[in-house]
Amino acid sequence: MNETLNDPVLLSFIGGLVISSYFLIQGKGKDTTKLLISSLAFAGVGIISSTYTYIIHNKMVVQGATSFCSSEGIVQCGSVIGDPQWNNLFGIPWGVFGIISFSLLIFLSLSLYLDRHAKWAGDFLNYSWWAALAGIPFVALLVIIELTQVEDAPHICPFCTIAHISLIGYVFSTHYLRKNRDAGKWSSTE
Amino acid sequence: MARRRKSLAPKGRDDDVRIIAGFALGSILTVIMILVVIIAPPATIGPSEGELAPDFSSDSYNGGSWVNFQLSDTFDYEWDEGEYGEWILIQFIDTDCPYCWSEGETMSNLYSQWSNDVEFITIAVELSISGHDSDRQEIEAFRDKTNYGTDDNDGNGCNSGRDNCINRPGTPHNWNYVEATSGIMKDWEITGTPFLAILQPDGYVAWNQYENNGESIEEAMQRVVGGNQ
Repeated sequence: MNETLNDPVLLSFIGGLVISSYFLIQGKGKDTTKLLISSLAFAGVGIISSTYTYIIHNKMVVQGATSFCSSEGIVQCGSVIGDPQWNNLFGIPWGVFGIISFSLLIFLSLSLYLDRHAKWAGDFLNYSWWAALAGIPFVALLVIIELTQVEDAPHICPFCTIAHISLIGYVFSTHYLRKNRDAGKWSSTE
Repeated sequence: MARRRKSLAPKGRDDDVRIIAGFALGSILTVIMILVVIIAPPATIGPSEGELAPDFSSDSYNGGSWVNFQLSDTFDYEWDEGEYGEWILIQFIDTDCPYCWSEGETMSNLYSQWSNDVEFITIAVELSISGHDSDRQEIEAFRDKTNYGTDDNDGNGCNSGRDNCINRPGTPHNWNYVEATSGIMKDWEITGTPFLAILQPDGYVAWNQYENNGESIEEAMQRVVGGNQ
């Protein structure tokens, strides 16, 4: 377990989450720009971690193992991403779903960041909020699968968890962005 | 003459930034695809020859008890063509299917000839046909050739309930019988039973019955496995 938590890639992802959270806390209730950066950062960490889980998935399928993640202990990827019954939805690996979902969120957030006063900005902010919320039940499902369904459960896949936290962070970012808008602080920057 | 008041509300940019965002996202996705292809290209998974066999995890009966079985655990990922390795024969059956009933003897014969070089795996499915209801006891009896049902064609037993499972042709089958799930049947594109496939030791499909009409399993084993050992 300690070996997994010392993984430099995992630490980089955690660093990304810390930076995203910093912008979230700094922007909360006062600075729309920082909140937009926070949402972009969370979505960015999400898409990169999803890509990483997809790479692990491919390695496990083709080579039966991977050096990218531990396959023993509670915190590991092997029993989660390597489980053919639970590592996909209708045959599509979960990592691919993550890449597609975070792509949509990046597009919405980046558009808002580039022009938050455009006519469509209000709609895009709502789309971001509802799209992120739609992903939460899938996160819950995946956590339940990790904890109860995979072989020798419970297991926690650290890179999957990074993607899950990214989505939750994104939900908070868009929530505070909506609050800023409703409070008339949409244009505010420090 | 009325004077127009200048609006104080911030105005958006003149250009449509959604196009820029779209291009930026396209660039990100392109980089991701290139990285995936370089580091770990996805395998083509399916039951056709040349594809990586669809993996599955399910309960299997080994003659003593039901335990979890994962197909990929039998793969030798280090295997290279020309090297010695244990090949895998996958058979899909329904214990109530008459053709599977008679194929029991063929499988026994194949096992006695190839068991040193080939791992045998039978996957027991339940086709959606009237009279094809089966349970674990029936699967166990079919594999072990033990007393289950009657020979009175009363619906009890194997072979659509026509026979007591103890009378299945061939000897008891000393290999894993896996209980199929609907997911396994879908992944393997199973439309009927029996179905046979031979896998290379590394899990790639070497022979698929549907793609080799006219070639018997005995001939296929000789050509595919015998020619490589």
